[in-house]
Amino acid sequence: MNTRLRTAFLASLVLLTHSQIADAHIVSARLGDFYAGALHPLMTLQDVLIWAALGLLAGSISAASGRWLVLVFPLGLCAGLALAAHAGLGTPSPLIDAATILVLGLLLVAALRIPVALLCLIAFALGVMRGAVNAGELLPQTDRLLYAAGLASAGYVVITLVMALALSFRRPETAAVSSWRGIAVRAVGGWVAAIGLMMAGLSLAP
Amino acid sequence: MSGWRALILVLLALAAPLLARPAAAHQATLAVLEFREMRPGMYIGRWTTLPKDGENRIELKMPAHCFLRLPELNCGDKGLVGQMTIANLGEDLSAAIIRVTSLDGETKSYTISAANPVVTVLGTGAPTLQTWLELARTYVNLGIDHILLGADHLLFVLGLIWIVKGGWRLFQTITAFTVGHSVSLAATAFGWIGVPEAPLNACIALSIVFVGVEIVKQQRGEIGLTARYPWVVAVSFGLVHGIGFASALAGLGLERRILPAALLFFNVGVEIGQILFVMLVLALIWAHRRLGAVIPSWGAELPAYAIGSVSMFWFLGRLVRVLAAA
Repeated sequence: MNTRLRTAFLASLVLLTHSQIADAHIVSARLGDFYAGALHPLMTLQDVLIWAALGLLAGSISAASGRWLVLVFPLGLCAGLALAAHAGLGTPSPLIDAATILVLGLLLVAALRIPVALLCLIAFALGVMRGAVNAGELLPQTDRLLYAAGLASAGYVVITLVMALALSFRRPETAAVSSWRGIAVRAVGGWVAAIGLMMAGLSLAP
Repeated sequence: MSGWRALILVLLALAAPLLARPAAAHQATLAVLEFREMRPGMYIGRWTTLPKDGENRIELKMPAHCFLRLPELNCGDKGLVGQMTIANLGEDLSAAIIRVTSLDGETKSYTISAANPVVTVLGTGAPTLQTWLELARTYVNLGIDHILLGADHLLFVLGLIWIVKGGWRLFQTITAFTVGHSVSLAATAFGWIGVPEAPLNACIALSIVFVGVEIVKQQRGEIGLTARYPWVVAVSFGLVHGIGFASALAGLGLERRILPAALLFFNVGVEIGQILFVMLVLALIWAHRRLGAVIPSWGAELPAYAIGSVSMFWFLGRLVRVLAAA
């Protein structure tokens, strides 16, 4: 592992471990409900992993596939939030979260060229799921419109940046999956799948 | 260029609720507590603005040597010196202002908020290094919060980025904006100039309308003032926005001797927030270009009109407030 990669990995680890300390209600009191909606998912390991893996998956396929997610994923988040807030859509169990991470990791490992329509469907479904989870932080006094705008903005920013970074990393869109860049993306997928597997094990533990 | 349009449109669509209600925030959860020194080290206090859920739920912590049982606060010979904090901020109380009037009649105000959970009362001695560090933390955070919550300031900067595009010219423009708002922020904070808040806010909205018009001109192939002399526009409107920034410091009742440092730290905070925003916007523009996520030609002018409409909505709303107050 080169120094830059190691530094990035350590920094990510530190961010992820420290993120649990933060309190969404403090964010809300300090910066209002827009930023509470934007920052809450970034403090949750499941959201960070699922969003990043989805962006990586879309970005590693092609720009043509990925660009639809710029809108589809945030819309899914809003739909999930609305369904949870008004129609009582429940939050998925930890096992479903873990399974989702595992499947996304495996899709990255397999380097499948998923059709655009299916990718959009997956992204929307994941958006709905994570939107519903993030609705758990809504308090009676929370301004839901601002919270939804913040959540969707965060989804848009994260998914757009990760897709573009993945696309730039892979460089030529027709690059063979056997190139070292392709293998690196698949290796990251392996890590994501491994985390999903560990989380599944933890959730099944008595 | 299309990447820019796509970015602006998506950002505006996502942030529309925020743009439409920039001042919604959490003012209802502000409380004010006043202490008056009756004899050296002994104060009588009362809530002049009660917290939303009642005074009994607030966990106010005074310096360790002080004994607090409202209405009495007894700090003995050392006087009211040290740290004050509220332990349960963030649930039903977002900020509290504590005003302390000493025996000689001088009143000082301290604001405790989630951004600034601990305040230090300096007393009459020279400030220590710890005091300066706390001051820096407090006012840098306040500056960051102020710019991040100032949708109008951010929209103006977004307009400048759009017109100037990037590179060296963007650096110059943003620096000019910084110089402009720093000068007027300092001048206002020191009391050299004073502008009523309501008309000033209307002017700030009008500055964004101006930028919106400039963007439309640019799209039609005309070279507007901003495209020709971006730094002139940036420094001019920076002066206006700086007076707006100063409103965040007004009412905090800062001590005269710490005002220059507080101002400096606050400005640093504003710059940090502004740089973060500019970097995020530039990163997103790059990402849109990379992904080819562009707006179809039929919607090319939508973002410029969206900026213009939002800012004009603000301007009219603020103008109504000015006229109502007149």
